[in-house]
Amino acid sequence: MIEKGLKILICIVFLCSFMAVGIASGEDEEEYPQEPIIFTKPVKAVVFDHKLHVEDNGLDCESCHDDPFEMAAGTAEENKDFTMKSLYQGKYCGQCHDGESAFASNTRCTLCHIGVKGYNRLTGVKPKGHGGHE
Amino acid sequence: MKGKRSDQPNYVTDEERREFLKLGLKITGVLAGGSVLSLVPLPEDEAKALVEMEGYEKTPYKPHYVMVIRQNHCIDCERCKEACVKTNHVPDYGYRTTILEKVAEDDEGKKFPVFMPVLCNHCLNPPCVRVCPTKATTKDPKTGIVVMHYHKCIGCKTCMAACPYNARYFNEEKRAIDKCNFCWDTRLSKGEKLTACAAACPAHVRVFGDFSDHNSEVWKLVHQPDKAVWVLRPETGAKPCIFYMND
Repeated sequence: MIEKGLKILICIVFLCSFMAVGIASGEDEEEYPQEPIIFTKPVKAVVFDHKLHVEDNGLDCESCHDDPFEMAAGTAEENKDFTMKSLYQGKYCGQCHDGESAFASNTRCTLCHIGVKGYNRLTGVKPKGHGGHE
Repeated sequence: MKGKRSDQPNYVTDEERREFLKLGLKITGVLAGGSVLSLVPLPEDEAKALVEMEGYEKTPYKPHYVMVIRQNHCIDCERCKEACVKTNHVPDYGYRTTILEKVAEDDEGKKFPVFMPVLCNHCLNPPCVRVCPTKATTKDPKTGIVVMHYHKCIGCKTCMAACPYNARYFNEEKRAIDKCNFCWDTRLSKGEKLTACAAACPAHVRVFGDFSDHNSEVWKLVHQPDKAVWVLRPETGAKPCIFYMND
C-alpha cells in the first residue's frame, strides 16, 4: 500500500513539474502583455495597446523600454511630469507621437483617451446613477 | 472691426458669412485682393445645425452668459461632472451636466469616440419657462441664466418634458426640479468668473463667458470665419446658448 501511494505521489509530482514548465514556457512566448495598459493618472483614462504597437507598427521592446517607459506598468504615472505638456516636449509617448514618427500628441485625442466611459467598459465597472439615457 | 467692408481684401463681414452659412457653404479662405471666397459644401448634418446668429447678437442680457464647447478636445475625464456634483450637491440619480458619447469614423474609416458635454442650454426662447404653470423657472433678465425658484416648484415635471436637451431632473431632497444654473448661487454670485465645470476642465473644452462682450473668448471663438459652429437641436427654435465647435 505504502509503495503504491509513493508511486502515485511521484507521478503527481512529476506531472506537476511538467505542467509548471509548460506554463512557464507559455509565458515566455508572450513577449508583451496581451491586456491593454490603462493609465488613470493624471486623467481617467488612457489606453495603451502593446499588440497594436508591436504587431501593426513593428515596434520592439527596446523601442520604449526602459526608455521612456520602465517595464513595470504604472511607473510613469507616478511621475509629476507625466502630462500632455511633457508629451509636446517629446517625453514619454511624445518621443514618437510628434507628428513625424506617429500622429502628434495634440491631435486625435480620443484614440488614446478613452475616458471614464471607456475605462468602465474595459474594467467592467457599471456607472452609478441612472441619469438620462446612459 | 466694424465699418470694414468686404471690398477690402482678406476680410469677410459677419453678414456675408451668415449668408454663406445659410446656403450650407463653409468659408475656407479669402482670395487675396478680392472679396470672393473659396467655398466648400458643409457636411449635411453640420449645415443643418449651423448657428444663424440672428437673435444672439442683440439680447438684453449683460453679461450674457454662454458656453462654447470645443468638442474634439473632450476626453471624458469627467472632472467637470465631479466638480459640478461637489459644488452643487447633485445626487447620483440626476445630473446637471454629463458627457454623451458617439462613435465617429475618420477619413481612413478608423472608428474613434466623440465625447459631447451637455448641460442646460440657457435658451433665448426656453420651452421650459413657457410651460411652467407656477413661474418656478424663469430666464434671469440680467444674465440670461435659466433659473429655478425651488419654493415655487410643484414638481409637475412639465418642464422636464418640454426641455429638448434632457437637462432637468427631479431632486428628491429639494422636492423640486433641479438643473444647471451656470453655478450662479454657488460661484458666479460670489465673484467667481467661471462655472465649476469650466474651471475643472483640464483641456479647456468648456469655455465660459460673456457673449455681450466682443472681446470675450466665447465671442471670438464663435466668430471665426473659417470655423463651423453649431448648436444642438436647432429645429426646436429654442435658440440654445451652448455653442459647439471643433478646435
